[in-house]
Amino acid sequence: MLLRTVLRNERRLLAADPALRIALVVFAALFVYALANGMVWDRFQARTVEAARSGNAERVRGLAQELTDIANGAQPSSPFRDPRAPIVLGGARGAHTAVLEPGPLAALAVGQSDLLPYYYDVSIYTNESSFQQNGEVENPLNLMVGRFDLAFVTVYLLPLLVLALSFNVLSEEREQGTLALTLSQPVSARGVVGAKLAFRALLVVGLAAGVSLLGILATGGFTEAGRVLLWCAAVSLYALFWFALAAWVNSLRRSSAWNATVLVGAWLVLVVVLPAAINIAAGLLHPLPSRVEMITAQREASNDAVNRRSELLARYLEDHPEMASGVVPDEPGMAALTWAATDAVNGRLEEVTAVHDARRAEQLALIRRYRFLTPALLAQGVLVDAAGTGDARFAHFQSQVRDFAERWRQFFVPAILADERMTAAVLPGVPSFRFVDEQPADVARRAAVPLLVLGGLVVLVSVGAGVALGRVRGAA
Amino acid sequence: MSEVVPIDVPSASTAVASTPVLEARALFKRYGDVEAVAGLDLRVGPSEIYCLLGPNGAGKTTTIHLFLGFLEPTGGSVHVSGLDVAAEPLESKRRLAYIPEQVMLYRNLSGLENLEYFAALGGRGSLAAERLTDILVGAGLPRAAVQRRVSEYSKGMRQKVGIAIAIAKEADALLLDEPTSGLDPQASNEFSELLGRLRDRGVAVLMATHDLFRAKETGTRVGIMRHGRLATEMSTDEIGHADLERVYLEHMHG
Repeated sequence: MLLRTVLRNERRLLAADPALRIALVVFAALFVYALANGMVWDRFQARTVEAARSGNAERVRGLAQELTDIANGAQPSSPFRDPRAPIVLGGARGAHTAVLEPGPLAALAVGQSDLLPYYYDVSIYTNESSFQQNGEVENPLNLMVGRFDLAFVTVYLLPLLVLALSFNVLSEEREQGTLALTLSQPVSARGVVGAKLAFRALLVVGLAAGVSLLGILATGGFTEAGRVLLWCAAVSLYALFWFALAAWVNSLRRSSAWNATVLVGAWLVLVVVLPAAINIAAGLLHPLPSRVEMITAQREASNDAVNRRSELLARYLEDHPEMASGVVPDEPGMAALTWAATDAVNGRLEEVTAVHDARRAEQLALIRRYRFLTPALLAQGVLVDAAGTGDARFAHFQSQVRDFAERWRQFFVPAILADERMTAAVLPGVPSFRFVDEQPADVARRAAVPLLVLGGLVVLVSVGAGVALGRVRGAA
Repeated sequence: MSEVVPIDVPSASTAVASTPVLEARALFKRYGDVEAVAGLDLRVGPSEIYCLLGPNGAGKTTTIHLFLGFLEPTGGSVHVSGLDVAAEPLESKRRLAYIPEQVMLYRNLSGLENLEYFAALGGRGSLAAERLTDILVGAGLPRAAVQRRVSEYSKGMRQKVGIAIAIAKEADALLLDEPTSGLDPQASNEFSELLGRLRDRGVAVLMATHDLFRAKETGTRVGIMRHGRLATEMSTDEIGHADLERVYLEHMHG
């Protein structure tokens, strides 16, 4: 009864207040723009993936044709490009592009998908350095503001809408004098504030969830109901956290100006300062080895291996002096030699990159631990993860690519070592990559703890606000 | 003027019907070292208009706020229609209507929308718009103003909406805090008439005021408060305007 009465009055007040109406329209426009922005990126990524896929098919068709032609007596264009050589077919010429399809809700949160590679050309030369990312650990704040997508608007700007609607939910009633008449009715301040906030929460969560569902509908993500639920849960809990905070600040019975200052301060600390501070802490506590050093070390390792390759070759030629004048790669043993040298390079590179990767993992672990310091990072993590554009799904993809590269090598390396000749008949048997998406249960499991913590925060702050509001009896 | 018989507090209770609508029993309210209400005993029966007189700081507004449950007494108790306000705050507020000194409403809503909201909060959500309009007009608001935004209203018009809210609530008792301050004489007169009509319906009215003339004209009894307690109490039938002023001044200086 109270709820219905207050809801109707709030609707009237909103309709009669042009400033609030404008704020809502502006935010609705921002939401829609963010969604459109995300959809543009999603479509771009989908096109790239499609191009990579058709590139794979094209390449196989070309190689099959060439192998058939050679079998029919044609000459290969160059001995270095002869597809019959397994080192050529399994190398750059036959490389298979392994692609990560855009996340199911990628249009809602671009996440890290514009930072992390979503396709790799896999060949026998694929090694650990192929997986090295170009960036350092990205500032979580940068990730949040990186692209103007729905996740950004939700994490960054939604709190501002919540605060604009509720910073003075009780103080305004007192300042304009209506609280005295209100509290002379058989209602409690807690009940009235609760009902007023419920109206605003319906509005904000309705807007955020509505635009999200619109986006999901437009990009066909409804097949992943679990992810949609996680997304909506994160948006709702995050918005509710800010409503609860506004209720608590109002319960302290200070002026509207004081409330606004404190709440904007809280936004600044929780959304802007803490994420940046956590990133700085990660950099200070677990500094990455310099990239320059790492690249230098990679080059040295590579040069070293190449030199060793020369030594191996020299020794080989000493044993086969008759070949000294005209070494050709398809001579028996040469491909195996080349492969041995490549393998040696890979071994050295793995050592160098392992140090870097370990540090990076430590940094990420620290960031993952400290995200519990602010609801902004918790919500952002779940949103990106639910959208399938976070680092977890990416790591899932990368590990599949690693396995695939291994399968690729296992297919080609024995042929290289055995100096086999390839024909068009082997092509259908060449491994191909198909990304197997994460299980919804895995995503839910990862999101469970952050969502529970977020929900716990909402309950905690709400109870605090409720207790304090219970003490508000008069209009003073 | 010798017929003026100031009645002492203890004997005053005998003049009231045995079941008072508003009752304060040995009521105390202390703010730090200041005793705002110090052992107040007060009873207001049905169809009574009780005017609380007294200088600023005598404890009149505090008394009204204690009846409304806006404040918690530091001693004693307040009762509305027999309900202990501290024990049943919401139920006792259901039986009370309150008109503050300044009736502040939602400026962006019309008088009718304000009445609709507050009446619904007060438990009268079932009243139709026509009935609510009649109540507003009955309280003296011009019919043409009913649908206009409150931001365009004068203080007197807002006061009338406040009265309409009180009327719509059909409460047992009405609490008024300086209701006529800032109203022009005609508006004050209309206000007094309205109070008379409410009294005729059996409503108990407790009104804090500085207006001795109106207290005499409108009230059935007056009580003079000083230092948080009743200095004296009398029936307005038994007293003339001049006498009331004399008694008041005597008590202020006494």
